[in-house]
Amino acid sequence: MNRRGFLGQMLVGAGALAFAPIGLRAESLQRNAVTAFARGLEQHRWLAGWKSVGVESFEPCAAEIEGHWPQELTGVLYRNGPAWFERDGVRYQHWFDGDGMLHAWNMGKSGIKHRARMVATPKFKREKRIGRFVVPAAGTTIENAVSIRNNDDANTANTAVMRIGDRVFALWEAGSAFEVDAESLATIGPQTFRNDLTAAPFSAHPLRDRDGSIWNFGSLDLLGSSGLLIWHIGGDGKLTSATTIKDEQRGYLHSFAMTDRHLIFVLKPYRMEEGKAFFERLRFAEDLPCRVAVVAKDAPDSARWFDVDFGMVYHFADAFEQGNEIVVRAARHSSAKAARSPMSAAMQGRADTVDDHVDLVELRIDLGKGRAQWHDSGIGGIEFPTFDPRAMTARQSTIYAPIRTTSAIAPWSNAISAIDLHREKKIVHSYGNLVLAEEHLFVPKPGSDRVGHGWLLGTLLDFKAMRSGLVVLDAEHVDAGPLATAWLPYAFPLGFHGAFASSA
Amino acid sequence: MKSIILSVLGTAMFSTSIAHAADLTVKVDDIRGNKGKLMLAVYDSAAGWDGKAKPVAARALDAAGDSVMFHFEGLAAGTYAISVMHDENGNGKLDTNFVGMPIEGYGFSNDPKVMRKATFAEASFAVDDKGTAIELHLR
Repeated sequence: MNRRGFLGQMLVGAGALAFAPIGLRAESLQRNAVTAFARGLEQHRWLAGWKSVGVESFEPCAAEIEGHWPQELTGVLYRNGPAWFERDGVRYQHWFDGDGMLHAWNMGKSGIKHRARMVATPKFKREKRIGRFVVPAAGTTIENAVSIRNNDDANTANTAVMRIGDRVFALWEAGSAFEVDAESLATIGPQTFRNDLTAAPFSAHPLRDRDGSIWNFGSLDLLGSSGLLIWHIGGDGKLTSATTIKDEQRGYLHSFAMTDRHLIFVLKPYRMEEGKAFFERLRFAEDLPCRVAVVAKDAPDSARWFDVDFGMVYHFADAFEQGNEIVVRAARHSSAKAARSPMSAAMQGRADTVDDHVDLVELRIDLGKGRAQWHDSGIGGIEFPTFDPRAMTARQSTIYAPIRTTSAIAPWSNAISAIDLHREKKIVHSYGNLVLAEEHLFVPKPGSDRVGHGWLLGTLLDFKAMRSGLVVLDAEHVDAGPLATAWLPYAFPLGFHGAFASSA
Repeated sequence: MKSIILSVLGTAMFSTSIAHAADLTVKVDDIRGNKGKLMLAVYDSAAGWDGKAKPVAARALDAAGDSVMFHFEGLAAGTYAISVMHDENGNGKLDTNFVGMPIEGYGFSNDPKVMRKATFAEASFAVDDKGTAIELHLR
């Protein structure tokens, strides 16, 4: 045995896992949470959005279509989200902890079919075999958790979907992308782009460049270190480059933005308290500035750094360069404390109002003067912003985002908005007060290059009829409401993000 | 790599010939995949554990099945600690990724719940002259 190597390498890995298990007496709390959630769901039907699925798959099922589904809109919308929240009477406290379920909405000539399958990660398979949660979770303390080999042992693959060619991947943010079969959704396994990058963090928000290549980052803070791993992957799925940048200040990062020339990373400062799971220990440091890294795509191993006032952002939208200025659009949370565990009351079966307003803002980075500033748009109540990536200027761009109207019963979006920040125009279509609205992706109409000429493809949960649905709107006529909605005879919990694969 | 294994195994056989009495059986569980070998080393001191002395015994066995049994004969009664790794690709070391996180299986006696290399104290157990059997889990 090469003992020296064994010891040396082990010592390098020492203390590396931020998700390390530390036993606290939390299990009784989590057991009460199962009952509390069930009781809450009886009173507040919208909590179905956070109910644990009880089945590992939904076999192909035809949806009932209301309205006229556009004939040219064919393909598959893949969506992902945390879905398995309870085992052996224990309920996760943090929404991000649920094991991922991958959904496929197949839009074909014969109608719309839905199927879904739990991503068979090592974590899911192990806990299914044992019959209870035993793997350290990101936001819930698991008592007597097992020791894990590396982050992929705790990977829930529960956040987003990436397509490379015909391949489909379920994404988390602190470990590998998990490939699934595009048709059956059966799990193929973790993707290793290069051997030394095995189990490396791969964020849930890769961005596709105009040349078909994919940029992404991995937060090394999620491994107990600091800095960013910057991924560049060719349209063929092969690694182009993997570089790291590092700052003295630690920073949390969930997504990023890019222009044609630059990648922009806005790192949220934080401190870690003792004990418990990662998101329980994390405290955003609102007294410190966010550090902004502007990285040239042709030199991804170095960054130009800027300071900007603290702002808690999970989701960035589009970004543009105007002369010496970079403009980045983002959904900024008003409460860094609440944003640490979004919808935490709902996870516990409570209908509390969420004390965390999310505003659409712009971050303007002046490359000449070396300054960065937030600018409010005056538009709030949104999250999960999407856009038409073909827009070349801020003037051309529209942001599409689920939004909450004042009539909504649940503390969650019940409408879809199309927001033109340049012209200060906001168009909203409400689905009524008995529907939860999720991310709406922009899908270009086949054969058209015109920016904004496309459909919005979104998902809904109708908690009155207890059914999940797929909705399509004309992106240029959001106020006209859905062109069509495809409803299933069943409901499943809300997800986070999706990706569309066109077959047109 | 072969020479390293042979030299360590040689040391182990030499130790066996001068030791007395006790037998040790180690069951290694939770083997993932049947490629490569399990490489197990037995230490009788913190110095050995920390790489400053040779293990008192070491053996490499095929990673066949979910569990593999290791038998050591003629150990002196005393305190020992075990480390084991699953060398899946046969390169003689525990592979790690770019931040030093293990990407092959490994484990320690007592299964200490630490996300680092266990200490000798955390992994140590007693072997008496009637013989001892232990079980450990790869992670």
